[in-house]
Amino acid sequence: MKRANKKGIEMTFNWIFAILAGGFILFLAIYGASKLIRTGEQTVYTETAATLTSLFDPLETGLASGKASEISFKKKSKVYFTCQELYEPFGRHTISFTEQTFGDTYGEKGQEISVKDKYIFSENVIEGKTFYYFTKPYFMSYKVADLLMMYSDEQVFCLYNAPEDVQDTLEGLNLKNIYFPNSTTSCQGTRVCFAGGRNCDITVANDYVLKQGKKLYYTDDLLYAAVFSSPEMYECNIQRIKKRFDSLGSIYLEKIKILERENCQPTLGSELSIAIGTNIQSSKDLLILFEQIDNFDSINQRAKDGCKLYYNT
Amino acid sequence: MDVNFITIHKMKKTKKGDLKIQVLKNPAGFLGLSSSKLADLKIQAPTNLRFLGASIFNKKGDLKIQEMAFMLLGVFLFFILVGLFVLSIAYSNIRDEATRIAEERTLSAVTSISDSPELSCVASKSNCIDGDKLVGMLNKTSYQQFWPFSSLKVIKYSGFGKKGKELITCTFANYPDCDVLVVYDKKVSNERTIGSFIAFCRKEFENGYTYDKCEVGRILAGTELKNAG
Repeated sequence: MKRANKKGIEMTFNWIFAILAGGFILFLAIYGASKLIRTGEQTVYTETAATLTSLFDPLETGLASGKASEISFKKKSKVYFTCQELYEPFGRHTISFTEQTFGDTYGEKGQEISVKDKYIFSENVIEGKTFYYFTKPYFMSYKVADLLMMYSDEQVFCLYNAPEDVQDTLEGLNLKNIYFPNSTTSCQGTRVCFAGGRNCDITVANDYVLKQGKKLYYTDDLLYAAVFSSPEMYECNIQRIKKRFDSLGSIYLEKIKILERENCQPTLGSELSIAIGTNIQSSKDLLILFEQIDNFDSINQRAKDGCKLYYNT
Repeated sequence: MDVNFITIHKMKKTKKGDLKIQVLKNPAGFLGLSSSKLADLKIQAPTNLRFLGASIFNKKGDLKIQEMAFMLLGVFLFFILVGLFVLSIAYSNIRDEATRIAEERTLSAVTSISDSPELSCVASKSNCIDGDKLVGMLNKTSYQQFWPFSSLKVIKYSGFGKKGKELITCTFANYPDCDVLVVYDKKVSNERTIGSFIAFCRKEFENGYTYDKCEVGRILAGTELKNAG
């Protein structure tokens, strides 16, 4: 028998140990680095979402009839909104943020930031480089909240046959991507029809807005909320606004006792209590609630000037 | 005996302490033909030699393995320590950033809170707090979760210049003869307060008329600092 290669494959223990240990360390290093990068990305996204909430504060209307502003990002970004009406005490929004990393792909969205004192009306996810938002005060006889409508530069709204006051309001706020085309001009975007019509994405009727096959009932400036918001977000915020209305109502009931000390005799307490006690299941119930609101509001309007419970101007 | 002799003889030739694996090409070894030594798959572990009383050959090898193991352990621990150091810096930055954002939020909110429906006078007065409404909020705990502050207080003009213990806290019973209205206080251990001057208005009956009596006041909103040790 002839001897072949006697030496064979030789591998010392040092080599085996070094390969195994080196491989393990290398794996840990790559895994750790990727985790670190991902965590860093998540941190930045979460911080951005938190900063967004601070940017909403200056848009509290105060005595103003509306305010508008915009936020621009360097990269195309996505903002995710959720609305939870059952969260105590008055429900909440969560906001999370992500932006494009490589090509068209988005990074994993950051942690959700909770916002309890804002009422944001937008689609559930908005995408773009610039985000436009405006606020309008909302009165249910007394001021209850500021409605915050938000959309992006990738959304275009074509409002057909919009009433003059709507057009004045939106043009007065100098909002971008909102157009009022007539029969001769063309407009590519979400078609919002105020006087009916064909191929409308959103139809505005007297007391409701028809959007995605759902009727969103509105009063006053809730019209803008219904147009710019997803139906789920709208209905959720209506519930949240009602909770705030109830809480404010109970504060005003306490104020009645203070006014009685100062030679005033407000008589709207019982009517206000009825409105507070009214449950609403959906925006449709707003119409019933507003009948009750009108009842106590008329009592307040008749009160002596110094003894009015609230002022809605 | 013959086999053992060959093994020891071969170990002297190779590096001491090494594990040597020899795979020979002749497959006869797998058929159990022990007479053909070339066909054997030999795994020679020099540690076995200790049992044969030959530990003198592998002392250097043991030392080398130990050296390598310690070196690897050292490198591993070094990287772990570096990682922990980096993480601790990053984590402290996150806490600083969280506090900065919270303070920023408090600052932006405190300037606009006087216009919130719960506090505002509304009647054509900006930056005005309705004291009569504020009294109705004193027993409400729900607002602790609503606003992003750790505490919220309003000091009336009568409380200006008074020290903490001298201030008379307002209740429904003693209002308006008091100094400070505590809307809520979460009593956090580490807090920074931001103040803003406001108009504090309430109804007053005087000379047969009820009118809005306004005076200067100060709203104080606290932020919990998360980064202080």
